[in-house]
Amino acid sequence: MLKISLRSLLSHKLRLALTTLAVILGVSFVAGTFILTDTINATFTSIFNAANAGVAVTVHGLQIAGQDNAIGGARNHPVPTSLLATVRGVDGVKDAVGNIFRNGASLIGSDGKPVGGNGGGEPAFGANWIADPEISPYHLRSGVAPRQPGDVVVDAGTASKSHLVVGQALPIVFGGGAEEHFTITGIAGYGTSDNLAGATIALFTEATAERVLEGQNMYDSILVSAQSGVTDIALRDRIAATLPASAEATTGQAAAAAAELSTETTINTFIGTPLLVFAFISLFVGCFLIINTFNILVAQRTRELALLRALGATRAQVLRSVLIEAGVTGLVASILGFGVGILIASLLLSLFGSALTSNLSLQPRTFIVAVVVGTLVTVLAATLPARRATRISPVAALSEALPETQALPRRRIIAGAVILTIGCAALIAGLFAGTGSALQLVGVGFLGVFLGVALLAPLLVAPIATVLGWPVRRLRGAPGLLAAENARRNPRRTALTAAALMIGLALVTCVAVLTDSVRASTNNAIAGAFRADFIVFDQGPSFNSQAATALTHDSKLADVTEVRSTSVLIKGSSQDIAAIDPSNLSKVLALTMLGGDASTIASTNTAIVDSSEATSSNLHVGQVVSFNFPQGATVPIHIAGIYKANALVTGYLVSLATMQPNVPTARDDLVLANAAPGVSQTDAAAALHHDVAAYPLLLAKSRDEYRAFVGASLDSFLNLVTTLLAFAIIIAVLGIANTLALSVLERTRELGLLRALGLTRSQTRSMVRWESVIISLLGAVLGLVVGTVLGVVVASALSSLGIDTISIPGGNLIIYAVGAGVFGVLAAIVPTIRAARVDILRAITTE
Amino acid sequence: MATGPAGVTADPAIATPETSQPPAALAARTSEAVKVYGRGDASVRALDGVTVGFAKGQFTAIMGPSGSGKSTLLHCVAGLDRLTSGEVYIGEVELSGLGDRQLTMLRRVKVGFIFQSYNLVPTLSAEDNIVLPLTIAGRKADPAALAEVVRITGLGDRLRHRPNELSGGQQQRVAAARALASQPEIIFADEPTGNLDSRSTTELLDFLSRAVETLGQTIVMVTHDPLAAAHADRIVFLADGRVVEEVHAPTADTVLDVMRHLGG
Repeated sequence: MLKISLRSLLSHKLRLALTTLAVILGVSFVAGTFILTDTINATFTSIFNAANAGVAVTVHGLQIAGQDNAIGGARNHPVPTSLLATVRGVDGVKDAVGNIFRNGASLIGSDGKPVGGNGGGEPAFGANWIADPEISPYHLRSGVAPRQPGDVVVDAGTASKSHLVVGQALPIVFGGGAEEHFTITGIAGYGTSDNLAGATIALFTEATAERVLEGQNMYDSILVSAQSGVTDIALRDRIAATLPASAEATTGQAAAAAAELSTETTINTFIGTPLLVFAFISLFVGCFLIINTFNILVAQRTRELALLRALGATRAQVLRSVLIEAGVTGLVASILGFGVGILIASLLLSLFGSALTSNLSLQPRTFIVAVVVGTLVTVLAATLPARRATRISPVAALSEALPETQALPRRRIIAGAVILTIGCAALIAGLFAGTGSALQLVGVGFLGVFLGVALLAPLLVAPIATVLGWPVRRLRGAPGLLAAENARRNPRRTALTAAALMIGLALVTCVAVLTDSVRASTNNAIAGAFRADFIVFDQGPSFNSQAATALTHDSKLADVTEVRSTSVLIKGSSQDIAAIDPSNLSKVLALTMLGGDASTIASTNTAIVDSSEATSSNLHVGQVVSFNFPQGATVPIHIAGIYKANALVTGYLVSLATMQPNVPTARDDLVLANAAPGVSQTDAAAALHHDVAAYPLLLAKSRDEYRAFVGASLDSFLNLVTTLLAFAIIIAVLGIANTLALSVLERTRELGLLRALGLTRSQTRSMVRWESVIISLLGAVLGLVVGTVLGVVVASALSSLGIDTISIPGGNLIIYAVGAGVFGVLAAIVPTIRAARVDILRAITTE
Repeated sequence: MATGPAGVTADPAIATPETSQPPAALAARTSEAVKVYGRGDASVRALDGVTVGFAKGQFTAIMGPSGSGKSTLLHCVAGLDRLTSGEVYIGEVELSGLGDRQLTMLRRVKVGFIFQSYNLVPTLSAEDNIVLPLTIAGRKADPAALAEVVRITGLGDRLRHRPNELSGGQQQRVAAARALASQPEIIFADEPTGNLDSRSTTELLDFLSRAVETLGQTIVMVTHDPLAAAHADRIVFLADGRVVEEVHAPTADTVLDVMRHLGG
């Protein structure tokens, strides 16, 4: 039987070509994701190891609650500079140096914009130069170390990318403040790398670093080298014994490992897992194509399989023969997919530029996962058709061709309805029940909805194809009529083909509905709650309050209001709270109060909270909750009001005076302002832009500009998701081409007959093309309806984030439908060529 | 053209004198038709210089043993296949000069087909199948003519059915009705009774004869069944790619005689 399977495989290799391609695409996405994240992680590992090479022990504060993972390691509290002397006094310490290393030192290029990085908002680190070559991760490549307050050493990666040279003047912005002027005295590498994987590093004298990075007499860590003969662990223990309870000692190796682990987790969370989700979607769509292909192959081989049965093959042998064919296809496709994955990963890495210097990380795990997943998916998907093959009775070898259309079994309808119901239930539970595994439940919900609709879709094929076919019939006469009938003739095949396209389109539509709802809600908030004429913000972390001070002094502006935030622990979970100057609150924000009064936050340790947070945390006016601030303070906060959440303001709101004593630095998230009385909007805007020009990282927008800005970022999010779903959509389009090509093959005789009866080649092409368009549009109808419903459901679950308006982007939906039609035409290209090439004589004379 | 109205046969001994036939216009004809399959040593001369004509309003059967070239002749005259050399005309149109599109148009307008099997489009109802050539051509069926065709096929109550809901005989009658509905200049039938039982065979042949008698239709039918051939006005016998015999107003007996004579 193995021989028969392989023979059959070889004779069908053309028919399996598109299936193979689909598996290749799905597997390459999986493999590419692994290779990409492995390579990024390997880059960081080598950087951290090299940077920590000479560090025996690191001393740092305790971990900041709620901030587990970040690139470069968990964020710890700093330690007082006074601790350095203590550490230096420990027996066995060769040298110890204080290390200030913080984000927020942006190097400004000649165009006034930040240089370095890849435009992706990479961190811009500032640090103190460490002279001890054994401990220091910084190694001069040219020039000298910083000695004067105006000296800076920049990392070699940024220097070469942005053409910075020793002796050059370099403006630097700290924390979104005004430019300060430095001179480059040297170029340094980080460990053995040029820099920290694309992030810029600016190195100053310790005094300068202390000032510009707001060190406040604290080091982020103390790096220690050991005298010879003292082990790292022994030294760590000796140092630890001298430390206060607020500090910890770790070996350099452990620090590097912790940094690696934390970086890896971060990268997996933000890159790996999301990409794997999209890879999974692609494979899921690929399953539809595989099932369809093997269904069609089994149908076309009915007589052959029946003959084998008649000749004594058992059901198990027939099952095995189909599964072996699937297994070999999956195996070959997976191996090829792994290769394509390498290409994809290196393509993506080349987009990161030279920042990631290390070679592609090809781990055995990646290959094993790719091959196992690809093969398993193919075999599992082929199981259904294989089981159908076993049900072919030996008599079928003798009988006439089987009728192509079969009624949908009741079993399948029930199964579809049950799965759809489970999917909906999981979705609702995930979205509204507020359980811990909400995301997983939503995922299961989506899966259930897609599977359920796909199972029930054959019921919809006839009615929808009739409706869609009507204009085609009118427009295209006989080819249109035949196309519509062909689309309906095998509802399961058509439905499965269309369902594959449905999934990609439904997800795009769902995200489009979500982003449009966010847009509409934000616009609502800008029109309603947002009363300020202007908003100033930056796209990085929070910024220095210098800017707000400058705006306050501008006579053309009034009601300048700083908004700050910090994360605190409330009832054990980390929450961002916002702080605002209460005196101007009513002039810049118009919150809809459901209870209490917004102005009450003017009293210290008083907060107002949005209604959905109040509901979910069971809060009411007059209650007291504890805020645990990152620096350790626990403050009882009096809830004095409840407001209606909107897209711009959610959660807890307190006064600046309440927050300020409990946070280390005064950084603004945004600054709101109005035009001064009697000053026109235009004049005020000009004044604002003039003031803000001194702060290169800040953006100043009017309400309308802000609305457009939010819209643009939502658009780019939607584009990103659409791009990631492109794989799934391409696979679905391949599926349409595949189904059509196999159908054309199956209908050779019919095509011959039609050609004999006077159907021209172009009419034949038109017939196949319109069938393809009808299938695609069927997928589009399903996708748009399912996607819109999912989008509306998910958006309504996000009311706690201030999504108060559900908006369906009609324009996008039309574009998707038209796009699906175009995909139909594209998918039909090859099948139409094959259909038009049918040899009439051979078609009608072949028995 | 040198050929007579009723066609010229290859064997002068058995040939009907041209003068004995009433002059009639030809619906289709070939002149020195040669069809060679393959090349070199492997080549087969399926048609070896066939000159034959099919008069309008006549029911012609083409007979001959397997490999005699009868199906090839039909395919070439019908514009489904091309001659290696020689000429073939439908009406006054010579086919060898036509491109695929022109041939398709000619088939669509002037030619009707009935095949042995797989004659109908499975997705269309009987009625849609009958008017399919008209639909393809973007023409509307003449309701009166259609009603007449439906009446003589006796398919009135089956028009809404799909082919798989019809018996083999009914399917062939639908195919015949389709061939007639577009009122083509000539209908080609390739073993139309090959898959039918004797009762369905008789029904179909009666129907075809009636179409010739009452509608003046021209039909050319390839068959190996002497009883079927006996329904024709004239039988052309082929052997080894040549016309070897011709019989007018045949009966089953005369057909069998000729076959025995040729076979011996």
